[in-house]
Amino acid sequence: MVDITLKINGATRTGSPEARKTLADFLRDDLDLTGTHVGCEHGVCGACTVIVDGRAVRSCLMLAVQAAGSEVTTIEGLAPDGGMGTLQQAMWDSHSFQCGFCTPGFVMQATAFLSDHPDADEQQVREALSGNICRCTGYQSIVDGVLLAAERNRQR
Amino acid sequence: MAAIAAERYTGASIKRSEDPRILTGAGRYVDDIKLPGMLHAAFVRSPMAHARVLSVDVSAARALPGVTAVFTGADLEAMTVPGPDALMALMGWAGPTPEFTLLATDKVRFVGDPVAVVVAESRYLAEDGCELVEVEYDDLPPVVDAAFALDPGSPPLFANLGDNIARTHSRNEFGDVWRTFAGADRVADFHIDVHRHQNVPMEGRGCIASYDADLGVLTVYAATQSVHVSRIAIAMRLGIEAEKVRVVAGDIGGSFGLKIGASREELAVAAASRLAGRPVKWVEDRNENLTASGQAREESFDVRAAVSNDGDLLGLDVKMVVDTGAYPGMGAMVPAIMEAMLPGPYKLAALGFESTGAITNKASYVAYRGPWASETFVRERVLDLIAKDLGLDPVEIRLRNVAPRTDPPAMMVTGRPLVGVTSKESLERVAQLVDFPAFRRRQAEARAQGRYLGIGVASFIEAAPGPRSPEGPSGPMGMESMRLRLEEDGIVALFTGQMPHGQSHQTTLAQIAADEFGVPFEQVRVIVGDSAVVPFGLTGGSRSATMTGGVALHGARQLKAKVLDFAAHLMEASAQDLLITDGNIWVRGDPESALAVRDVARRAASEQFGADVDAKLEVEATFDGGEGGWSGGTHCAIVEVDVETGIVQVERYVAAEDCGALINPAVVEGQIRGGIAQGIGAVLLERSAYGDDGSFQSATFMDYLMPTACDVPRIEIEHLETVPLDADVNFRGVGEGGMIVAPPTVVNAIEDALSPFGVRIYEQHLPPARILQLIAAADSGQ
Amino acid sequence: MKLPPFEYEAPATVAEATDLLAEYLDEASVLAGGQSLIPLLALRLARPEVLIDINGVDELSGISAADGWVAIGAMTREYVAEESKTVADTVPLLAAALPLIGHEAIRSRGTIGGSLAHADPAAELPAVARALDAEFVVRGQSGTRVVPAAQWFEGYLTTSRRPDELLSEVRFPAARRGTGVSFQEVARRHGDFAMVGLAVSLVLADGVISDARLAFAGVSDVPVRAAAAEDLLAGERPSAALFDEAARRATEDLDPPADLHGSSDYRKTVAAAVVRRGLRAAADNAERQ
Repeated sequence: MVDITLKINGATRTGSPEARKTLADFLRDDLDLTGTHVGCEHGVCGACTVIVDGRAVRSCLMLAVQAAGSEVTTIEGLAPDGGMGTLQQAMWDSHSFQCGFCTPGFVMQATAFLSDHPDADEQQVREALSGNICRCTGYQSIVDGVLLAAERNRQR
Repeated sequence: MAAIAAERYTGASIKRSEDPRILTGAGRYVDDIKLPGMLHAAFVRSPMAHARVLSVDVSAARALPGVTAVFTGADLEAMTVPGPDALMALMGWAGPTPEFTLLATDKVRFVGDPVAVVVAESRYLAEDGCELVEVEYDDLPPVVDAAFALDPGSPPLFANLGDNIARTHSRNEFGDVWRTFAGADRVADFHIDVHRHQNVPMEGRGCIASYDADLGVLTVYAATQSVHVSRIAIAMRLGIEAEKVRVVAGDIGGSFGLKIGASREELAVAAASRLAGRPVKWVEDRNENLTASGQAREESFDVRAAVSNDGDLLGLDVKMVVDTGAYPGMGAMVPAIMEAMLPGPYKLAALGFESTGAITNKASYVAYRGPWASETFVRERVLDLIAKDLGLDPVEIRLRNVAPRTDPPAMMVTGRPLVGVTSKESLERVAQLVDFPAFRRRQAEARAQGRYLGIGVASFIEAAPGPRSPEGPSGPMGMESMRLRLEEDGIVALFTGQMPHGQSHQTTLAQIAADEFGVPFEQVRVIVGDSAVVPFGLTGGSRSATMTGGVALHGARQLKAKVLDFAAHLMEASAQDLLITDGNIWVRGDPESALAVRDVARRAASEQFGADVDAKLEVEATFDGGEGGWSGGTHCAIVEVDVETGIVQVERYVAAEDCGALINPAVVEGQIRGGIAQGIGAVLLERSAYGDDGSFQSATFMDYLMPTACDVPRIEIEHLETVPLDADVNFRGVGEGGMIVAPPTVVNAIEDALSPFGVRIYEQHLPPARILQLIAAADSGQ
Repeated sequence: MKLPPFEYEAPATVAEATDLLAEYLDEASVLAGGQSLIPLLALRLARPEVLIDINGVDELSGISAADGWVAIGAMTREYVAEESKTVADTVPLLAAALPLIGHEAIRSRGTIGGSLAHADPAAELPAVARALDAEFVVRGQSGTRVVPAAQWFEGYLTTSRRPDELLSEVRFPAARRGTGVSFQEVARRHGDFAMVGLAVSLVLADGVISDARLAFAGVSDVPVRAAAAEDLLAGERPSAALFDEAARRATEDLDPPADLHGSSDYRKTVAAAVVRRGLRAAADNAERQ
């Protein structure tokens, strides 16, 4: 067991995970933040994507102990009090999702992408999201949600 | 078409009530649930495709700290009742079934076959425990090829069957097959293969089983397409009374046909929870999902087509072999639906069909979105192949063969009436949306520059639910029930056995009920996912739009009548003079009279009334599908094939579809696009691959490739004006259509792109290496 | 797919890391970005007794240019190298290859050194390193060695790093004036490993090619320099016929591996196509400099 302290969604949290426990499992099991989903455990599907120190990462490919001292944002922390930010609202308006299992990963990946590329075009959005797998939607509605969010961000 | 009461919601892309929780990480999937004292299970799985199990030594595993229990096949067999696969039982299967146990006992029959289950304090420890279980196997020759399975000399997987033939669907003939073929100008022979691929929902299978020994009640938190079917399957297999099993499901991360009934692993977990005396959770990982959850579509077809020189497809004679894997279930049942659907919307005069199921050392064949889809693949490929031989264009040959809409409707030679079918209109619409002559010019210019573009079309119909049949709806796919209740707080509650896993029922059904009853959308709540609370139902077969949409509509109407009868007493008016709009009940012409539905409900619940007043504001509604109807359409794809690398890009994709009246266009379009993505994935990327020795080669997402946002283009969807058949319910199912018709659409386009090379395609899976092989083979005149 | 148990060490300096490596040798795996190692652990294909996590060794990160070389610390994240102006200006072939590595989230954690120490022959960075004759600096208790790329890649996932050594830095030569580059990749999907990839760098001066470098990914158990093609190209002017012949020479002796995604013949055929395309693109790129 390794004692760690880190910031999750703005709050300081501590834990004592085994070194082998992934960040994904630590978030879900130890901190009860089950919004981050596990879809493949080998870094391909992107469902586990969270933001660590400003970068989107696959939490199944990080050990929890590696996040010590870091700032982590999960889907639960994007907007205060269970509300919705611009991207989430735009995705709601765009009917972006169906079963919802891939959703947190897409939302986190798109959040990180838009903050670095606020004026991305459709092809760039598709490439940025090509590391997240959705089985339900065929992606168009997700891409539309991201583009709508970018548009609304520009208008503000 | 008859208008629904207020029609504020039905037909509009109302935002989903599911989304706030989905978008904020507040969904509750099985793996999110934690129960006090919960343990975790992991399975020891066979690395062999076919072997006798000589011994299973669990002593080291049991001794590992953190491991609570280890159960073998024999341990669980002692506490379960043998029986067939749940879906087979549900569909009324009567044939001989292979006998098998939850965990392998004497034999393993595919790589991944579960042999023992380790229950521990965490999944990490359970997997550690699995590594310590020592199993001695005695290798047996694997049966990996369906053709070998059909050979009586192949080693039988099941002793009680004696051979590897799952079920013979004996030959049926429709129309005069002999005369049609004898009189045809041409008879063409084809062999067409569809490859093995699979559902791959983003959430795997899983459950938490919690047995309360004091009450004798087993509660299972599940991911399932029907809580009741799961309940019955679990009860049957565990020898518990069905009333003592409760299945609860929350959010489900997709299924596409996979999560129906209860898998062997889920049953093993339920049994383990009884033995362990604590709740046990098992959620499969991706490795398990790809290797062991089940696979689909591996069918091969010998097809004879009777054709006129002008391009009439007069008759088809089809022999199918289905590779059902080990532990056959759905696979052996698919032939009957395929046979019925093969004629499609065309004027086929004769059909002969027979099928055999082959048992092989592979994961079981399971239902996958449109399980009968290969009938469309075969038919739409054959039409293109014939068209090429005759020099006809693909739209032309289909227009020639499509049955026009007549009154009385044309009959499919397999017996169902093509009532209300708009296939002809869908072909014409696609031809309008896609400028074929302009494409042909662009194609020619591109070829001159060494670029290969192609265009393909395909048409289909789907019995979603299909036209009203004289016998009415039957079996578990039949009558739909719903309980509707006006709750004390004014909420109109719909209790349905539907189990949404992406279908957005909590939104769509509320739209219908809100319109019909007269309350705002937010005042309707759709309750799903608890077998103690909801009536029987199953989400599948693209039935919910009609069946559940219909029962919601009629049920809301019935509830409204009951509520108005009650309100009439409160308001001292005649029920006929009362209206409900926007959540208020009022006397026609007297807006001052308005009473909130909420207040009426509260009074019904809290006040006393005389025996002549029915204050129980609840109805049990059923719906038989009304006039039903077909869904269908025509799809068109434009592709570019890089002939140096074999890489295919889908440049444009157009769907002209008819799924009746739309409840929620955005939901409909999402379903269509998702199905098309799976079809594109099947053709270009996805294959469940077995080696000659039965080893499984696509057990991770590195090898089983899923389509991504760079593989699926924008999909243009045109909704056709539908032919209403029913006075009220003209919603039809749309869930499976995209996946049924996209594969032939894309393959037809690829063959068109490669036509300068003389390529003909008789298979569905076309990865880059295969494309180059086809070009090389055609070049060398094979 | 949970990771198996292991001892965990998190050294803060290179010295501490090399002490640990000297103690554990083959029983230890080094954890850098984790994007390759953690999946292997999750699949229980890798079973180290000890995991030495070097993410805390700050001295291993950094990009600096001096004396015609760009030195990149082994723990430099791929995304940092991707955003680096130094890399873009002085090692354009590396800059061309970096965006093709997986997806953004992979590059958030993956490291230059980690990828090169893992040495997947289908990956982008080994081909780039081989093409440019990069130099690998390894440090152990016994001292520091510099290994040229030609000797670094020994076999499938095998490098000449000794078990007691840590890859600390990789050096890439700065590109000369007139250099044009291209990284070609034929992959099943955007972001996938290459079925066949090719790193190309060449110099065009007065329309004449010199210093042509071609290194394949995905055609063997190590990245492969197409020396015969390079010799052919030297001193010639770009032309389709020249590139066709270069493609023939580059591929005639290849015997690529077969897997689920492609047969050996398929890869060989595609290798020829990427040579033609890569040379055309690199020549165009050089002309635009």
